[in-house]
Amino acid sequence: MKFLCVPCDKPMQLLEASPPDRGSVSLVYSCDACGYEMAMLTNPQETQVVTSLGVKIGKDGAAESKCPFTGMLADMEQADDAIRWTPGARERLSSVPEFVRTMAKSGIEKYAREQGYAEVDEKVLDEARSHFGM
Amino acid sequence: MKSYYDITGDGGSNILEQVGAMQAAIDEKLAGVKHRLAIGSGKGGVGKSTLTRQLATALRQRGNACAILDADLNGPSQARLSGLQDVPLLPGAEGVALPRDANDVGVVSLGSLVPEHEAVRFDTVVEGDSYTWRATREFTAVAELLSSIDWGHLDYLLIDLPPGAERTLQFAEFLGSSTAFMLVTVPSDLARGVVARSVAALRGTPNRLLGYVENMRGYWCEDCNDVRPLFPESERIDLGIPRLGSVPFDPELAAACDRGEPAIGTDRPWWVAVRKLAEVVEETLETKASAE
Repeated sequence: MKFLCVPCDKPMQLLEASPPDRGSVSLVYSCDACGYEMAMLTNPQETQVVTSLGVKIGKDGAAESKCPFTGMLADMEQADDAIRWTPGARERLSSVPEFVRTMAKSGIEKYAREQGYAEVDEKVLDEARSHFGM
Repeated sequence: MKSYYDITGDGGSNILEQVGAMQAAIDEKLAGVKHRLAIGSGKGGVGKSTLTRQLATALRQRGNACAILDADLNGPSQARLSGLQDVPLLPGAEGVALPRDANDVGVVSLGSLVPEHEAVRFDTVVEGDSYTWRATREFTAVAELLSSIDWGHLDYLLIDLPPGAERTLQFAEFLGSSTAFMLVTVPSDLARGVVARSVAALRGTPNRLLGYVENMRGYWCEDCNDVRPLFPESERIDLGIPRLGSVPFDPELAAACDRGEPAIGTDRPWWVAVRKLAEVVEETLETKASAE
């Protein structure tokens, strides 16, 4: 989807994306030539369709700013934190697709508990790979 | 006034670029895969997943590095078939490690992560409207799996498709023209008729259709020491593609599949037939590869 400022005949640029509100996302576009601003307000179905493509909305760094299309799954990661994760292990975990990350994390923590570990680090991940024959 | 095609980019969200980046990531992760073979069917229940699993094992026994992607997200069965239930996806330095079964076949299946008593769910902001977005989300999920697994070097990546002619076509378009297809049916006109629709759908794509496998062509009767008929013999519907092999049903194999145990190493007719099929598949794909 693109937005055109009709009086200027210039493409509009995304200015900001607001966090989701009950599934609706607000995206503000502006025209660099005349400064005119407009907002696109999605309905939840539209939000979901874009989410389903696995893409992020917003300018650079939107993912880190809890962009509406990425914040939801990040919230799911507030799991039982009895097992600690080192930054290196967390970094590796981010390579697991988001839609199965929580399940993968649970499986790794189950292994860590069985082995008596209180923390998951890269060494534990490597050890688990050997344990499961990978 | 400018049209859509006069404007470069989308003003900041870069949706198309992100979709392209996902495809590039898939290409990068699959760069070491020599042959991609998608295995589909018309209807479910024809033994497609079981055959995929056994074919992978037979190809592995012939010295090929082999893996299976279970693309049937809603009915994943490869984890159970391979004895890999409860094996977590483990992130390594080069991506997610490829789980391997006892026969050294790589297996990626949601069945390793989602218990059989649970449905596969995706996060959504529109509960109750899954018919509007679910298929798109599922293809994205398969793309995410393809682009995150450290597949390494593989001679064969077998992709176990969900049943249905329309899904077969969608996967042909999703996986691209370099993925060959093989269809599985049982010897009944009912099943062959539905597979014929998949054949017709695939004819409209540039993908190579190797042929079909007739599964459950008779059953192995241990008492008779013979293969006995299981379905009425009928080939009134000509699929118009090569028959790559015929595999009999064997209760011993079915029991081993339920247990997730390998049933290989026997000289029972089903295994002889699967080994022959592996030979045919290998020869067919290698011949094509060397011609290119």
